[in-house]
Amino acid sequence: MSFTKAEKDLHLPLSRVKTIMKSSPEVDAVGPEPLYLVTKVTELFVIDLAKRAYKNTKGNMLEYKHIAEVVQEDDTLDFLREIMPRKITVRQYKELMARKAARGDRSDDESSEESSEGESSEESSSGVEIIE
Amino acid sequence: MAEKLEDLNLPMTVVTRIVKESLPEGVAISKEARTGLAKAASVFVLYVTSAATNIVKNNKRKALTGQDVLEAMKDIEFDRFVEPLTEALEHYKQAVAARKSGAGKKKEDVEDVEMVEDE
Repeated sequence: MSFTKAEKDLHLPLSRVKTIMKSSPEVDAVGPEPLYLVTKVTELFVIDLAKRAYKNTKGNMLEYKHIAEVVQEDDTLDFLREIMPRKITVRQYKELMARKAARGDRSDDESSEESSEGESSEESSSGVEIIE
Repeated sequence: MAEKLEDLNLPMTVVTRIVKESLPEGVAISKEARTGLAKAASVFVLYVTSAATNIVKNNKRKALTGQDVLEAMKDIEFDRFVEPLTEALEHYKQAVAARKSGAGKKKEDVEDVEMVEDE
């Protein structure tokens, strides 16, 4: 019973959130109020992300791909695309590219993917990481 | 900057617990998914921080406020969090006020005061 109710509602460690915030070169001091809010909203965010990812599951197992799916489909989550690429095998990648080509390449991405057929394992502007 | 790199990540166990509590009982979360969620949460902290500091800079101010964090939600199109966050801020302010009017404790000292919530 050593915290106020509001602070007890938080699960994430404030000190760690503070450290992360201060790692930004533009932040020197973080007051308790913004710290509280950032911590709170991060909890809301991760719950929201998990709940949406859960909708992509069929069984009772939440997997990485379900989260990556949400990230790739929601443009407001663009900031996560680099750290949460869709992971696919080389074979799936080739199939994907073939399908894209067949669809006539909806030109919303750069056409760089097209040219990468042969030695393709490098990747990627399409949010995909290839598993060897 | 933090001394150790892992200081820049939120603890996976805590993130997992939060997530588990929000999903139906019995849902398993793969190791990779746990890591991913923890990473996402950590990056989100920086993302929000940067959006909020942008507001501070644009207003030629120095200190980051709670209001900046709320404003930042709109800038990054997470409007859906504005309402719950505003509510949380209210609770927080009440708690702080209660604490201050309490035994005249130091700012950091959050002991002994419990906010009463009427639900």
